[in-house]
Amino acid sequence: MPAHPHVQPRETDKSMLIRSVISGALASLLCMAAASAQDTRHLLESKESLYNNIYVYEQAPYRSMTFGHNRRIYTESVYNTKDELDLPVDYTRFMTASVMYAKDVRSILEIGFGGGRTAWYLHRFLPKVQVTSVELDPTVLEFAKKYFGIKEEPNFHVANRDGRLFVQESKERYDIILIDAYRGPFVPFHLLTKEFYQLVKEHLAEGGVVAQNVEPSTMLFDAAVKTIHSVFPQVDFYEAGGNIVMVAYPGDERKPEDLAAIAQERDKEFGFRYKLADMLAQRKRIDIDNGQVIDAKAKVLTDDFAPVEALKSIERHNKKLP
Amino acid sequence: MSEHVSRAGVLAIYVCSFLVGCVLMGFEMLGSRYLNPYFGSGIGAWASLISTVLCALAIGYFAGSAIVDRQPTTRTIGTMILIAAAYMALVPATADAVMADILDTIGDGPMATLMAATALLLVPLTLLGTFSPIAVSLLTRSADEAGRVAGLVYGVSTIGNVVGTLVTTFSLIPTIGSRAITYYFAVVLAGCAAILFVPFGKKTPDVH
Repeated sequence: MPAHPHVQPRETDKSMLIRSVISGALASLLCMAAASAQDTRHLLESKESLYNNIYVYEQAPYRSMTFGHNRRIYTESVYNTKDELDLPVDYTRFMTASVMYAKDVRSILEIGFGGGRTAWYLHRFLPKVQVTSVELDPTVLEFAKKYFGIKEEPNFHVANRDGRLFVQESKERYDIILIDAYRGPFVPFHLLTKEFYQLVKEHLAEGGVVAQNVEPSTMLFDAAVKTIHSVFPQVDFYEAGGNIVMVAYPGDERKPEDLAAIAQERDKEFGFRYKLADMLAQRKRIDIDNGQVIDAKAKVLTDDFAPVEALKSIERHNKKLP
Repeated sequence: MSEHVSRAGVLAIYVCSFLVGCVLMGFEMLGSRYLNPYFGSGIGAWASLISTVLCALAIGYFAGSAIVDRQPTTRTIGTMILIAAAYMALVPATADAVMADILDTIGDGPMATLMAATALLLVPLTLLGTFSPIAVSLLTRSADEAGRVAGLVYGVSTIGNVVGTLVTTFSLIPTIGSRAITYYFAVVLAGCAAILFVPFGKKTPDVH
């Protein structure tokens, strides 16, 4: 499962909340008539899958895939029907920042496909690169193909599998691994533990890099940062419209000037719409261990101990990224 | 009836009934934490866990009713619980190897998930399932009491189930980790077994 409780493009949090509540009522079917009168979006299709209640809405030119959860609607993916290379959701653009970190760019693995925007964008700009995405929910895949312009092509494959199982069984190594698996507001715990990141690390090619989308408003963020940092010594942060993209890699810290050189080179080589060089300007480093930004008491999550739901219910306060 | 249970014995049986109920459902919740990393966290994993637990209980009830005809003593249920405790104590150290093995040999489909749930839960929960029928038989002194006693035993053990589910999910898993909880459960069961080994009643000759 892809994405995250993210916001519609160009909307404030408040309006999202209101809309979520309205849509939630709609989802309950009880107030359908009243709610749809206030909602300018048009419901294209909804389906209860094995894992989610999935709704596809259209508000031209955008289509969004959302999961109903907790009387709210969580947007998993937004697709511009007039422009398949548009990435309307901020964090999906920053997931591609990983391209300037990887030593080589020959293969990309994405865990959590959703409407497949990030994977498709990368596939279109990097047609020679093997892009593989893993999605747990078959209905999400069905809708991605039906409404989000996704099709199987040479060098572009989507596997219907649990992300961790896929990695565990895979014999491949990847230059870039993107992690964006959400079910409504939650990340399944087995995709957020030290053991999982170790598996991911074992499947990185030499000079490979991991990018993960996280939602920074609860204590789960602190635990997630510590966990990924327990496996990858280097973590760079990109603030992306309410979400944070972490780029993690083994070895020494990459110098900004080296990254800038690669960014410029790859921007030119591949002609990315969202320039790596522009994204680099947003790069942030934080001292994860000094307790200033990341709670000193936050624990590394393991297969044994990963109270993701409990951590998710505790708000973070006033420890902003610098 | 092959044993008359003293007042202390009655209390001990109800306390154990509650604690065994707690551990039983608590262990089912833990089952999901052992299974999820290997078989995902979808509804399939839960279906496997729940059906395995109910299967174990069904077998346990049948076995318990067979035992009632032969050796219905507090020692018997104590022994069952002790074996369950020993099995649980082995789980934290061996579960990962067993899950990985199942994944490698059968894959991750419904059969594999069911197999994993079975490996984890069936033995200890079947043993725990024998508790209630034997307890009812030990606590029943005359035929008119049977319904009342059965209601009490199942009520107490079901309250234990509820407490076990909620405490495990909302307070234990968020604070101490699945492996540690499993060891605590084994200790609780061993404690119940110890209580049940106390000779509460004096033996009377078999009626049949």
